[in-house]
Amino acid sequence: MSLPSRADVIVVGSGAAGSTIAAKLAEGGADVLILEAGPKRSPVDMVSSGIWARRLKWNGAPVLEDGANPVGYNFNAGMGVGGSAMHHYAVWPRMHPTDFRMRTDFDRGLDWPISYEELQPYYDLVQREAGISGDAEQENWRPAGEPYPMPPVPLFGQGRVLAEGFKAKGMNTAPLPLAVNTQPYNGRAVCLWDGWCDSGCPIGALANPATVYLPKAIAAGATLATETPVVKVLTKGGRTTGVEVVNADGQRQQVQADTVVLATFAVQNPRLMLASANTDHPGGLGNASGVLGRYLMSHSAGLVSGLFDQETQPTSGPFGGQLVNQDHYAKDSHAASGAFGSYQWMIAQAVRPNDLLGIATTRPDLFGEAISDFMRKAARGFAGMTAVVEDLPVADNRVTLSDRRDDHGVPLALATHTTSEPTNALWRATLDEGKGIFEAAGATEVWTGPQGAMHIMGGTIMGDDPATSVTDSYGRCHDIPNLVVAGPGLFPTSAGVNPTFTVQALAARSADHLLA
Amino acid sequence: MGSSRRRFVGASGAGLLTFVVGGCQREMTPGQAREAGADLQTLSSSQAELIDALGKQLVPGAAEAGLSHFIDHQLAAAPDEQLLMVKYLGVPAPWDGLYRDGLAGVNAAAQANHGQDYVNLSSDLAGELAAALAGGSIEPWQGPPAGLFYFVLRSDAIDVVYGTQAGFERLGLPFAAHIVPPDGWIA
Repeated sequence: MSLPSRADVIVVGSGAAGSTIAAKLAEGGADVLILEAGPKRSPVDMVSSGIWARRLKWNGAPVLEDGANPVGYNFNAGMGVGGSAMHHYAVWPRMHPTDFRMRTDFDRGLDWPISYEELQPYYDLVQREAGISGDAEQENWRPAGEPYPMPPVPLFGQGRVLAEGFKAKGMNTAPLPLAVNTQPYNGRAVCLWDGWCDSGCPIGALANPATVYLPKAIAAGATLATETPVVKVLTKGGRTTGVEVVNADGQRQQVQADTVVLATFAVQNPRLMLASANTDHPGGLGNASGVLGRYLMSHSAGLVSGLFDQETQPTSGPFGGQLVNQDHYAKDSHAASGAFGSYQWMIAQAVRPNDLLGIATTRPDLFGEAISDFMRKAARGFAGMTAVVEDLPVADNRVTLSDRRDDHGVPLALATHTTSEPTNALWRATLDEGKGIFEAAGATEVWTGPQGAMHIMGGTIMGDDPATSVTDSYGRCHDIPNLVVAGPGLFPTSAGVNPTFTVQALAARSADHLLA
Repeated sequence: MGSSRRRFVGASGAGLLTFVVGGCQREMTPGQAREAGADLQTLSSSQAELIDALGKQLVPGAAEAGLSHFIDHQLAAAPDEQLLMVKYLGVPAPWDGLYRDGLAGVNAAAQANHGQDYVNLSSDLAGELAAALAGGSIEPWQGPPAGLFYFVLRSDAIDVVYGTQAGFERLGLPFAAHIVPPDGWIA
């Protein structure tokens, strides 16, 4: 397709943040152009295969990684229409009010420039539009909000087994809040609970950009251009005037706009802003504070696995899990061990035999006949759960530009990340707690995994003070107000829950402000 | 209801692996490609033989499932089509060097310890050296980190043995696909 020469709004990226903001702005009457670097995705492309699912992951310009705890960009990021949300597991809990005021309440980390109460209407709005299944009453830790519009996910073998472990330890479980249909919702089908969420959901039961907000955006008149990478954001004085892209003919082309929204995920946004430096903005766009790229975060994954005598049906159910526990979400719940931060348990996640999160990979020490024996036992009685451990914001964890460049001459991103000791201590505490829960559930064997990186946040943090943040609470760059950032890069802290629901609530709020 | 919807979305033409046999392109599984003696595109025949010998020690059934043809095919694919698990591990592409250097390291260790290439070792000695690779104690070692090479090759072997529809069935697990991979598709 030939690109228009201008639009009211250019949205760069078609993932969770970009699709939400594009839909809202287009429905509000704006002429919206969505520029997506990757290819189209069709439902028929989403073959049920763990190996196939790797096509949905990042395969663009390499992201170089450094530090003791790399953020795992290639695993966490996505490529193509829908971005990383096309392989996300649709676990959609809300952040807690205390997550928004860590600095105020604990004199640690950072505050958000908004409160939970300000974001709550947008959580409720996105929840109504996308659909979430769950049981609000059973989540006795749940912040205020409308009840879930759909009943909860059914329990399968491993969910039933692990729930007994939590009960024996005096802990609670509730159905995991999932943006997955347990009944027909807004014209979309019901989940079949076959555990293929991360291969893409061709039946539309899982709320992702392709099933919810991109269709709304297109229906409202937005234009989606694929395989059109943006290589520079243009500015004149203190305003952006548009972007420079590589078009379908391989030629560089400028497209003008009144507003540019960057929604290319937590590493590519700061990369593009740094790489777009010019004489008016020598340190990069939106970087008068010097904070651009800093406070990169990734949840530590507390992986606990075990074998049971019972049939656990390990491949059945949603990929994100069947149950949740947030009993110890308080930031100081494990303070005695030097830990600080929040976490939740995602319990009884559907697994496959293979792949990075698969059954075999939980025991990389086994080979030969030992792995064959283990796989036979695990196919019958494997269970697992994952703690989502908050990563405290550290200024030196950051995105910078490498000396290496991609095929279009844009410097590659270097993502440096080392978790702080309070985060490491909290991760260790979750493993101890998890092992105890498995033992209480009657596991015949229990083991834990390495400190994996899950989700990527920060790098373009929001705040009230232009001297210490990149954007305001609407994602508008302090020094370029018509350049808007969307996505998890805005998070000043990472909380202990999955980020996608919050990303979309923030995007809906930003869109409201832009339309006002 | 569920099965009818599966049938509805079940027609997919995506993802067959194409191998060359006798100058003709054919779509088949890596295991079929191995049986048919399909041409290798990236690896040498001795490297493929070593992969299968090592894969057999790491994950029984890997050689028969076509491990070497799977890796060879993936290394020859365009970057956005490559599906090896190494892409998740923060190792910059291209990855053929990692495989070649790792294999050379295994052979060098076999020669240093036993005076033979790995593929000529007895089953017991091949198993001992594979265990040393897995445990990080293989000596002498030159090449990528031994632990990384082990993890990568073992993951590939797990993919071909257990990541396919046949692999699920071998374990008695339901392969309840939304879109069933075509017969020739690896998974």
